Amino acid sequence: MTQSPTLSRRSTSPSAPAPRKSKRSGADARAGYTFLLPWLLGFIALTVGPMISSLYLSFTNYNLFDPPKWIGLDNYTTMFQDERFLQSVGVTVGYVVFGTPLKLAAALAVAMLLNSARKGQGFYRSAFYAPSLIGASVSIAIVWKAMFGDSGPVDQGLSFFGINLGGWVGNPSMTMSMFILLTVWQFGAPMVIFLAGLKQIPADLYEAASMDGAGPVRRSVNITWPMLSPVIFFNLLMETIHAFQIFASAYIISNGEGGPAGSTLFYTLYLYLRGFSDFRMGYASAMAWLLVIVVGIITLIFFKTSKSWVHYSGDSK
Amino acid sequence: MINRRNFLTTVAIGTASAAALAACGSPAPSQTGSAENPVTINYTWWGNDDRAERTRKAIALFEEKNKDIKVNGNFTDFAGYWQKRATEAAGGGLPDVMQWDLSYMRDYGQRNQLLDLGTVKINTDAFDKSLLPSGQIRGKTYGIPTSTNAFAVYYDPAKLASLGIAEPDGTWTYKEYNDFLTEVGAKGNGALFGGTDYTGVWWMFNIWLRQNNTEAFTEDGKLGFTKDHLKKWWNQTAALRGTPAIVSEERVTQLAPKSPFGSNVSVTEVTWDNFMAAYLGDSGAKELKLVPVPSDDKDNLGLFLKPSMLMVASAKTKYKDAAARFIDFMVNDPEVGQIFKTSRGVPASKTQRDGTTFEGTDKLVVDYEKSIEKYLKDAPEPPIVGFGTLEASFKRISSDLNYGKLTIDGAADAWFKEAEDLIKQNA
Repeated sequence: MTQSPTLSRRSTSPSAPAPRKSKRSGADARAGYTFLLPWLLGFIALTVGPMISSLYLSFTNYNLFDPPKWIGLDNYTTMFQDERFLQSVGVTVGYVVFGTPLKLAAALAVAMLLNSARKGQGFYRSAFYAPSLIGASVSIAIVWKAMFGDSGPVDQGLSFFGINLGGWVGNPSMTMSMFILLTVWQFGAPMVIFLAGLKQIPADLYEAASMDGAGPVRRSVNITWPMLSPVIFFNLLMETIHAFQIFASAYIISNGEGGPAGSTLFYTLYLYLRGFSDFRMGYASAMAWLLVIVVGIITLIFFKTSKSWVHYSGDSK
Repeated sequence: MINRRNFLTTVAIGTASAAALAACGSPAPSQTGSAENPVTINYTWWGNDDRAERTRKAIALFEEKNKDIKVNGNFTDFAGYWQKRATEAAGGGLPDVMQWDLSYMRDYGQRNQLLDLGTVKINTDAFDKSLLPSGQIRGKTYGIPTSTNAFAVYYDPAKLASLGIAEPDGTWTYKEYNDFLTEVGAKGNGALFGGTDYTGVWWMFNIWLRQNNTEAFTEDGKLGFTKDHLKKWWNQTAALRGTPAIVSEERVTQLAPKSPFGSNVSVTEVTWDNFMAAYLGDSGAKELKLVPVPSDDKDNLGLFLKPSMLMVASAKTKYKDAAARFIDFMVNDPEVGQIFKTSRGVPASKTQRDGTTFEGTDKLVVDYEKSIEKYLKDAPEPPIVGFGTLEASFKRISSDLNYGKLTIDGAADAWFKEAEDLIKQNA
């Protein structure tokens, strides 16, 4: 993103004398930083500052009103004896592990369907993208709750086929499926990225492969998959991180309590409850930092393993 | 095509900013009006649509009588209410005037978030002197009770008649109440249930403790009862869980935030007597009645009058005088009594009580409080810091019990662990 294009431009001009060049690039840098300043100030004041203070708070006992008391690593160690915390980890991991791949599979499948040129393509693309535009909104969570409630459309629809599950919202063993369906339904964003990726694969590769007698399976394994792998990697990474942060829908569907029977007690929801219901801000901060660290580690693992399966154009592989 | 370098930078920045977002929540400061004349004060309360409509009327009346003050009202349900207040307190922007609950008096009062109402002019002459301490902490007055409420068993006479069951007279032991619930459940035929599991209600547990001459909290802020008390309590309905005597927890969750009683799913509910208006509104029933809670000791019902809600002001309000005038109006004005009737409870101020005409179901509530007068004991003082959290976890853990996720022993262990942890934390 910021590869200082000015530098490379200057260095290609042979006529400029050396000392002057460095002076001007210094001025350029100053100008650059000046233009960056508004963003930089906001970033420091609104993101870096609070992050540092939350790091400090994570080592304290802080109830919002009294000054924080330093307690070292206590928050981090007591977490692992807190059954609600462990429950929230279980719920969140289950959601990430099942929700993310399903969502990506749905996104990829629909992107492949939409990739072929046919009439009304623009309409279909918009239609499939729409849920992810409104999906994060409060109203959708409310609609979802009504749909999956007792005698809601889902319950009635299933009853029609002789499946009597009752409402999903109050049933601890069904709530997770409900949330996974909600996230899968919002496949629009990764779908658009997949679609862009598919469009970038040069048609001549397929033509050449067909000439050599490769069938559709062979073509998708040897052309589509490797050519699309950076996009798959990107989507996988973003959606995984995104899934860890699920909050709004869980908060609304469970009335902010994580029920029934703790089955929707997502990590961030418990973090919020700890902070704003129980006034345990230190504990909540520690949870936030643990999440940052874990997500960081998972991202790192993704990057490490990506070398073996992600193919970039220009690479020798 | 996708270039490796650009791609990695984008991903790295995306990841970093996503992670950064997880680490910090930005508090939203609320605003207070700054116009010179009239000043605008913010008022917030919890409740349902019925209370919202009544409050709107009361505010309109206040503004008409006080042309120099505008009141900006805002409301949510009870659970969300306290999370919002915490967020606002963190940002230093609590609303000027707030409806308050006894459970959270200490959390905010003791931590200097509420205005000492002794420093402003509010008339408390018409209040019963035994009630005012419920709004006081360490000699300072932080809250003025609007009204009183007491625990009761609600029932729907029309539904009982349709099932061919006689109306209860309110002199019953726990066994008799359980038998009653069982009978309703059996005859209700899957459409009507006895009631919500009353052992999941903290205050009912508290009343049962008082019936057994045990206080819930000691004077130095520790638990006054043992794990065995709690196990015995949750065992009261052990035989009823999973039967139609009790509304299944699945249904309770589905119906939330409405109660099963208000949703016409159950025939009785054990709760505060000021819920009459809300239940009538929610259920559309013509008439609901209330009788005393069960007790195994006929002479000790363990009941008490509690301030059903209090009016408090933020310690940081810029408009102390306007806030005080609004509070005074809400607790003393007879016309406000006429608007709310018993929906906030029976008015605590004699001026307001005498100026209100109670008819029909409102009269039932007032009569109920009169009928139990001889059983009433002193109102509890504001419970310990963090009590609101304990009350919520009591409800949550008994819900897990009803879902069959916990045994009674496990539930008692879980609650005691949380309670002891909380008391230690706030010590």
